[in-house]
Amino acid sequence: MTTFATKNEKKALIERLNVFTAFALGTIAAIVVWRLSLAFLPADSESAPLFTREDKITLLSMIAWFIGFMTGIGALIAPFRWVQGKDLTHEENMFYAGKDLGIKRYFRYTTDHKVVGIQYLVITMVIFGIGGILAMLIRTNLGTPEGGWIHPQAYNSIVGTHGIIMIVGTIIMVTGPFGNYIMPIMIGARDMAFPRLNALSFWLIVAAAIPLIWAQFIGGISTGWSAYNPLAGQAPLGMNGYIMFICIFAISTMVAGANITTTVVRMRARGMTWNRTPIFIYGVVASVALALPAFPVFFLSQVMSGMDRALGTSFYNTALGGSGWLYENLFWIMGHPEVYVILIPAVAALMEMAPVFTRRPLFSFNVAVMGIAGISGLSVLVWAHHMYMSGWAPLLSAPFMLTTELISIPTGMLFLVLVGTLWRGRLWMTVPTLSIFALLWNFMIGGITGIYLSDVPADAFLHGSMFVTAHFHYTLMGAGLTGAIAALIYWFPKMTGKMINKRLSWIAFWLTQIGFNVAFMGMFFVGLQGQPRRVEAYAEIFNKGNLITTIGAYTIMIGMLILLYAVIDSWRSGVNAPMNPWQAKTLEWTVANPVPLENFEVLPIVTSDAYGYGKAKS
Amino acid sequence: MSDLRSPEQDYFKGKWWKRKDVKQVIVLWIVFTAMIGYFSSKFQVIAMGNPASETMENVINLITLFTWASSPVAGFVAALAIQALSQRRHHGDNPPPEAEHSISDSPRATATWLVISALLCLFALIVGLIALQKDDQALLDRNAIHVNVTGQQWAWNYDYPGSTGVRSNVLHLPVDQPVVFHVTSKDVKHSFWVVQMGVKIDANPGYVTQTAVTPNKIGTFDIRCAELCGLLHAYMQNKVIVESKADYEKWLASQPDTGHTTWTPEGAIE
Repeated sequence: MTTFATKNEKKALIERLNVFTAFALGTIAAIVVWRLSLAFLPADSESAPLFTREDKITLLSMIAWFIGFMTGIGALIAPFRWVQGKDLTHEENMFYAGKDLGIKRYFRYTTDHKVVGIQYLVITMVIFGIGGILAMLIRTNLGTPEGGWIHPQAYNSIVGTHGIIMIVGTIIMVTGPFGNYIMPIMIGARDMAFPRLNALSFWLIVAAAIPLIWAQFIGGISTGWSAYNPLAGQAPLGMNGYIMFICIFAISTMVAGANITTTVVRMRARGMTWNRTPIFIYGVVASVALALPAFPVFFLSQVMSGMDRALGTSFYNTALGGSGWLYENLFWIMGHPEVYVILIPAVAALMEMAPVFTRRPLFSFNVAVMGIAGISGLSVLVWAHHMYMSGWAPLLSAPFMLTTELISIPTGMLFLVLVGTLWRGRLWMTVPTLSIFALLWNFMIGGITGIYLSDVPADAFLHGSMFVTAHFHYTLMGAGLTGAIAALIYWFPKMTGKMINKRLSWIAFWLTQIGFNVAFMGMFFVGLQGQPRRVEAYAEIFNKGNLITTIGAYTIMIGMLILLYAVIDSWRSGVNAPMNPWQAKTLEWTVANPVPLENFEVLPIVTSDAYGYGKAKS
Repeated sequence: MSDLRSPEQDYFKGKWWKRKDVKQVIVLWIVFTAMIGYFSSKFQVIAMGNPASETMENVINLITLFTWASSPVAGFVAALAIQALSQRRHHGDNPPPEAEHSISDSPRATATWLVISALLCLFALIVGLIALQKDDQALLDRNAIHVNVTGQQWAWNYDYPGSTGVRSNVLHLPVDQPVVFHVTSKDVKHSFWVVQMGVKIDANPGYVTQTAVTPNKIGTFDIRCAELCGLLHAYMQNKVIVESKADYEKWLASQPDTGHTTWTPEGAIE
């Protein structure tokens, strides 16, 4: 009898947990720990550095929030069962997968990869929304040379927050929504290899977001997204929010990386050899596989930063035997692979679309795979090009210049694949098709300016200037985000069952692309004139360029708002999409709209690659 | 389906250079290369303004050279893209008919592309190494004067060793005289950037870093901090006044002794 009662009770517990209980439990835990540590933590000794006690209290409260939130969402239920020597029943697993739950499943610890994909899509859009508002604040402040209406401390914090959340947004923008929703169907699987880890990776991002918002109210992140020490050591309490945010986000990325890699390696449909695996899958795997070694280093660098602040260690404090160069190394060992974590899947998504919209096979699949592999391999060997001017190791400038410039070879391969596919194709003029052209243009500019920066003597002039800012916006936004938006429009019919409004997305495309090029050409110009990055005021000579950039930024904003409207409007009341609107040949287009819970009734068998377009000459 | 594609299909068959689209691409390629090279280098040269040292002249030349070296690649991609865009466009909700071929690879094209991109990469590397070598040599110049630079939130201070302990917050330099900067910081990381002279080096607390330059124009130029260093980072800038040797000596002699006679910046580990 008792067994029955406990079983009933437990099942009821699963049903009761959702995002609201998670927020409630997290908040309660944070407040309790905050009050307790206020009461019981000893005061700092006279000799201790500034902030130490407050740092301890802040970090402990944030950790409590994290544990409370994850308990409240239900992440610990299955692990507790295992400790008891049990597992979830089939019904419970189906409940976890969101069976018959309707809209509620999006607010729960749901394991279905399609739910997780939609959750990722929405949170990515929210992140871009917030990051975009911050960008507009920056650009408005820089519209006039005196800047002025935002306080310098707030301005620095806005720059730092814009930087880090856009980095996070772009990291998850392809592998999150499409890597989760589309990838398993594309390889002919019923779900991810570890569905619960999939839910975990998403809810970790939500848990991570709160410390970052929290940070804004306790001094902000006034150090830029790179949070260099010793500046971070002297920054206000908000820095702890950054540290917690990165630590939790790094766990999320590692979990997602392990999950996606395992899924692709183990769960491809019968007959889907590596030669028949779509190129998008390669892009996603390369991205998350690069994140696997990179993010533990990021995690570690922030743990050490937190220890320096809260526990008085001196990893990065030169006066006590540490080194700021240590932080820079750890940061960029993560930071350089990370830009390819962002870029590769976006380019791969466009390579996936190129044959569909040109009605011919992908040009040189092998070269595409080699390009992705080459970039991934080299990208872990280039980090110190961010430190040419740091004085850390002048003798290493030449070797790092070599590895950095070598990356242009595999990057060139990606260009070859795209232009080779456009060549003698039948162009179907859709927004994704236009995005391929936009990517070629933007990525070409971003890539070539990267070669200037890789060159040490030129970098002696360009490093730390607006030129660098313009360069990485060309790669991450001009190439990366363009690819991600194209992916959204391409897979929108499968993910939402609706067609996206063609006219509006067309207008949005042109406004964002024109605005983007105006904005960042202006930024290249002021960079070459000598305007440093991350400044809130500047000399007269930079007036024109900054004004142009601000005008461009507002154009981007209008374009993005139109796109947002198109997405929301089409999602709610768009035209129902047919099963395969683009007449594409990958597996995700063989399943019905809406996609059934387990995707395939009978698992597919693959007998060819997905690029059999064009009239074969017999 | 892929297995049915005949492997010998290739772009390079028969007199491929006589095809109309190939000719179009070649013409576009030449036009775009010239346009991209010309306008980009113009844009860059105008933006970078007048150099105040040979180092900066080299930077401008280097950037112009890279621009011209990469413009054929950019021009080629642009030519292929525009040619593709200029024909057989299809609008509408249904897909266009299939392309007239099913070419999925072209070993000759990929091999050519790889060889050319490798050569360009090698070229960039060699050019970079030569320029780097020059910059390194400048550090060892025996005729150089040495100036200690100390960054602190949010100002630069300059000590003129060899003088009687002169310290200033506006940098004075004699023209055509090699100078080596020894740069450090009192608090957080800064970056010492003499804009029009094209040199930059980070100022790290606890370490001394070096960079060298020979100003070759008389005038007033900008020094800015290029690394976010806290609240007033944007205002951490001042001027460098380059003057004739006589004027410099006169200025140096007129300055009071501040007691900073030591060469080692405060707190630095040498």
